[in-house]
Amino acid sequence: MSTNDVSQTGQTRIATTTKTVLREAGIGIALIVLIVVFSTTTQHFLTASNVTNILTQVTINLILSIGMTFVILIGGIDLSVGSVLAFCAVVAGTVMTLPGLDPITAVILATLSAVAGGILFGLLNGFISACWAIPSFIVTLGTLNIARGAALQVTNASTIYSFPAAFNAFGSQTLYGIPLLFLIALVLVVAGWFVLTKTVFGRVLYGIGNNEEAARLAGHNVFFYKIAAFTICGAAVGIGAIVYMARLNIASPIIGIGFELNAIAAVIIGGTSLSGGRGSIVGTLLGACIIGVLANGLILLGLSDFMRQMITGFVIIIAVILDKYRERLTKA
Amino acid sequence: MSPSPSTNATVESLLELSGVAKRFGGVVALNGVSFDLRPGEVHALVGENGAGKSTLIKILCGIIQRDAGTITLGGASYDPHTPGDAKMAGIQVVHQEFNLLPYLSVAENICFEDLPRRRFGIVDRPALYQRARKALDAIGLEDVDVRRPVASLGVAHRQLVEIARALMGESRILILDEPTATLTARETKRLFAIIAALKAKGVAIAFVSHHLNEVFAICDRVTVLRNGRSVMTSDISATTPDQLVSNMVGRQLAAAMAATREVDKSGRTALSLRNLRHPSSTNESGVSFDLHYGEMLGIAGLVGSGRTELLRSIFAADLPISGSLDRDGKKVSYQSPKDAIRDGIGFVTEDRKEEGLILEMPIAANVTLANLKAVSRHGLLRKRDETKLTQQLGNDIKLKYGHPQDNASTLSGGNQQKVVLAKWLANNPRILLLDEPTRGVDVGAKAEIYALLRVLADKGLALLVVSSELPELITLCDRMLVMSNHRITGELQRQDFSEERILNFAYKDERSHEYQ
Repeated sequence: MSTNDVSQTGQTRIATTTKTVLREAGIGIALIVLIVVFSTTTQHFLTASNVTNILTQVTINLILSIGMTFVILIGGIDLSVGSVLAFCAVVAGTVMTLPGLDPITAVILATLSAVAGGILFGLLNGFISACWAIPSFIVTLGTLNIARGAALQVTNASTIYSFPAAFNAFGSQTLYGIPLLFLIALVLVVAGWFVLTKTVFGRVLYGIGNNEEAARLAGHNVFFYKIAAFTICGAAVGIGAIVYMARLNIASPIIGIGFELNAIAAVIIGGTSLSGGRGSIVGTLLGACIIGVLANGLILLGLSDFMRQMITGFVIIIAVILDKYRERLTKA
Repeated sequence: MSPSPSTNATVESLLELSGVAKRFGGVVALNGVSFDLRPGEVHALVGENGAGKSTLIKILCGIIQRDAGTITLGGASYDPHTPGDAKMAGIQVVHQEFNLLPYLSVAENICFEDLPRRRFGIVDRPALYQRARKALDAIGLEDVDVRRPVASLGVAHRQLVEIARALMGESRILILDEPTATLTARETKRLFAIIAALKAKGVAIAFVSHHLNEVFAICDRVTVLRNGRSVMTSDISATTPDQLVSNMVGRQLAAAMAATREVDKSGRTALSLRNLRHPSSTNESGVSFDLHYGEMLGIAGLVGSGRTELLRSIFAADLPISGSLDRDGKKVSYQSPKDAIRDGIGFVTEDRKEEGLILEMPIAANVTLANLKAVSRHGLLRKRDETKLTQQLGNDIKLKYGHPQDNASTLSGGNQQKVVLAKWLANNPRILLLDEPTRGVDVGAKAEIYALLRVLADKGLALLVVSSELPELITLCDRMLVMSNHRITGELQRQDFSEERILNFAYKDERSHEYQ
């Protein structure tokens, strides 16, 4: 029995390592396949300007998805990110257009207030769901409405624009064809990856997502970690709001509708389990890229927006089905 | 063991198993089970926890599929893929865990598989109640209203409702998995009468039980499972309880059990409970006792007597509602497990999968989960330290594993339990609370865990051990407390240990509450 045991675990180790690599590699391969398909079937897909275009389109969803990954990893979900993005944007927009501020101060204050707004809602989401043990699906469904209503109330449903010229210009700057805003998102990817893989904090988040009770009995303050995960998500939304403003040069209370669904889709396609405890930021990066590439490529193919939406829907479902198979493989 | 020289060998078997095997990941659950079931016999399946009884039952009723071996039913190959297949084949199972729908009525539960209906699929209530009434009357439950929701019934009654439901169908084979675990003496007697009646009708009954006296009272034959194998089948009249027990535990464990330990009587008091009361405890005066360094103190008692709750209230997994706790003579008031851990307490929980381990995370991550400080600096993990600590502890406790980065789920039950122990040892605890420390663990690992616990006690740790296996407590402990209904009903010193004395204390309150 004992020799049996050892050889058995030896085999599973090799298999497990391969499978972990395969998990992310599989998503990477899917992305490469998509890129190859679109670059052979369309003329403009792999041109420099189109790549810049794709990266621009991916940026905001990627930023929101990074935050969403933290929440989904602990087994939660945040439906409020789209509305909170609008709320953060109008707060930041209001601050940025305050009379008598020099441009730099205005942008800094606006950024801080956007992030603060996001953190505020994150704290609220985390606190309510942790304190009363309410599913975050319901809590964030509530804050989704609160944030949207607040954004409309603050602005009286009007759009804010005429931001400092330098701020607007920054939003369309590129470095070797890579949008600066995308670089911001990449910095967040690296930060998120670092926190989740290299820190005690990240380790405990995975632990809670996998088995909350075991983590609690091992002496970890589950309450704190849950609030922290939602707060990180909120902060990411705040940054996302500023990036949105820099790109489109407006702040409106009706922006960001449905963004939460795109972010969730990116996280899921990236292989993070909706039940928590399993997934990675790298996967999320690839997931967001797949959504962006798919959207762009299908338009270049001449498909209607409606068709594009349908196909994206299928891709999400297929990704989850594939994930079920991967799960079964790792368990067998 | 050789098969028995059976007296009724001419009777043809209804169900025949041969070489049945099943493995879950790295864990071998069944490794060659063979036995047969004849019409009109009661066949006992006995074995320690983790011997494979539950897995076997799950295979027979189609919840899981076997990996190898053959099963024939009435001469034809039997290969159920769903519980529905098993029912169609005439096999009914009363499971150990309840499968009732708590918010539906007793009647709806009993008839759930085949609700009487009128046109348009509307449930025929009068027929429903009538059928359920008949089913309950048949097992002597005349006093239960069939319209009551199941949630409002006591545990013993729920078990009987479950049995009534299983008896609804015309089954050829009835499998009873620990049916008496929650029954009082009177209800057990009633159940045995039902079993006798079914037997007379020619139904084949497989009876799973921990209670050997029941096995000898009502069974015709017995098969012993150990470590996933059937090691012995015999006519009841041709065997003895001692023979069954020695077959259940095996030679290896018998040796470990024989080992004794010098107890240091001078140990200071590590923990002192005074009237500590768990929120679910019905006993207002709570529980009081002292635990000393270097001592292994056992807590015996029936399931539901409040043993687990006691450990949880010490560890602040659930906050006690009254009473006090002294640690090294100083009053403490833990607000969360974190406080208890900081104070040198570890808690090996009863349920490894739900509370003890994070199965889908690496072994190393599990080992360091309760003491991440030891393998990090400024909040950053140092994976090399983590690997080193895991290997070192793995060595100390003879952990059989492939690589520290393998998921804990790849390990066998015994090695998983060792990982849980390693998690607490990584924290250098002074007190270890252990709830069913060898549940679902194979015999070899069990002996190793016993040896490890002895070493820890010798090193001066205070160990508080809860177990449902009396031989385990009798083997391990220096002193034993017996609980019943959330109170301590007896205390025994090692020289006074006997199953009979312990059970007398364990049933103390049960008896007086039995007919309430």
